[in-house]
Amino acid sequence: MARWELAKFKVERVSEGILNSVINFETEILIPETRKVIAVIYNGKQFTIGGSELKSEYLVYEIKSKLERLLESSLIRELSKHSRKAEYRRGFSLRKIDVYAEGTLANLRYVYNDKFLEFGSVLVIPPYKDWNKLCKVPLTVETNAVSNIKSFYEVLTEICRSALRVHFEVVTVNEILKLILQETGV
Amino acid sequence: MIAIHCSNRTVQSFFIEVKVSQPLYINGVPVHDLYLEKRPIEGYLYINGVRAKELSGGTKYQLIEPTLFGYFDEICQLFTGNADIDVEDESYLPVSIQVNGKYVLKIERTGNIFTMDTGLGLDDIRHISSKIESVFRVKVIPLLRAVGLYG
Repeated sequence: MARWELAKFKVERVSEGILNSVINFETEILIPETRKVIAVIYNGKQFTIGGSELKSEYLVYEIKSKLERLLESSLIRELSKHSRKAEYRRGFSLRKIDVYAEGTLANLRYVYNDKFLEFGSVLVIPPYKDWNKLCKVPLTVETNAVSNIKSFYEVLTEICRSALRVHFEVVTVNEILKLILQETGV
Repeated sequence: MIAIHCSNRTVQSFFIEVKVSQPLYINGVPVHDLYLEKRPIEGYLYINGVRAKELSGGTKYQLIEPTLFGYFDEICQLFTGNADIDVEDESYLPVSIQVNGKYVLKIERTGNIFTMDTGLGLDDIRHISSKIESVFRVKVIPLLRAVGLYG
């Protein structure tokens, strides 16, 4: 397998009413050797990898179900408690992606409507072997979901309470990337 | 905001602003807004810059000094070296901690966004914050309230 680097990973579900929602997904994988960028886009209808439509319905289903799992995060549910509006958007993305020889670090960003929670750096590739490590390493945390220090500390507690779930989310990101890389033959 | 300075696990100084419903008379003037402090090296409590024992009813303030300073020592036990801790006076949770001049925790608010930078793990932060909160809620505040220096 050629060396590859993750450059972008973002999934979002936009809702208009209860029955009408669309998942958008974007990821970019760099192949440093050839300076090639593999852009993967799903717009709710069509799944393209490097501009070509992904024909395998099974693979589309597999990736889509994993993306939906990311959007069911307990941290997104936590954010929803701080939003008074009906759901119109939820998202999960990796930000500030830093690639090192030993692995890839990134911030995990969770979104519900106009509320967000972002923390990092978290080892995303490969995931931490010990899921408990999340709350034992220095992290930066940023959010607009709370209005006072006490609530901010409650969010910190929720992050640690969700550490196992966060670990599975990172594993899911790796599984999605693996499926894409297999398909592209990298 | 409450400021605490520790050195070698012992409190060196602290500064707390409190409001009291029953005023204290300082230089003959009734005062509701108080600031309580322990100054570095000195082992006394000051209220609005006046040594507590010199105020009317000062004996009761003097009597709580060792216990009060002991409670702050409990907080300082959490840190080796020199530590500066800023604690929010509503939640009694730390918003910044510097150890030997270097921030190990800093929570800032810009508009509606809270940002936390830390050199510690969240487990450590939760342990430290819960200890500080508990010392204030269970010990410091009830003691101050008992002698009319809080609430």
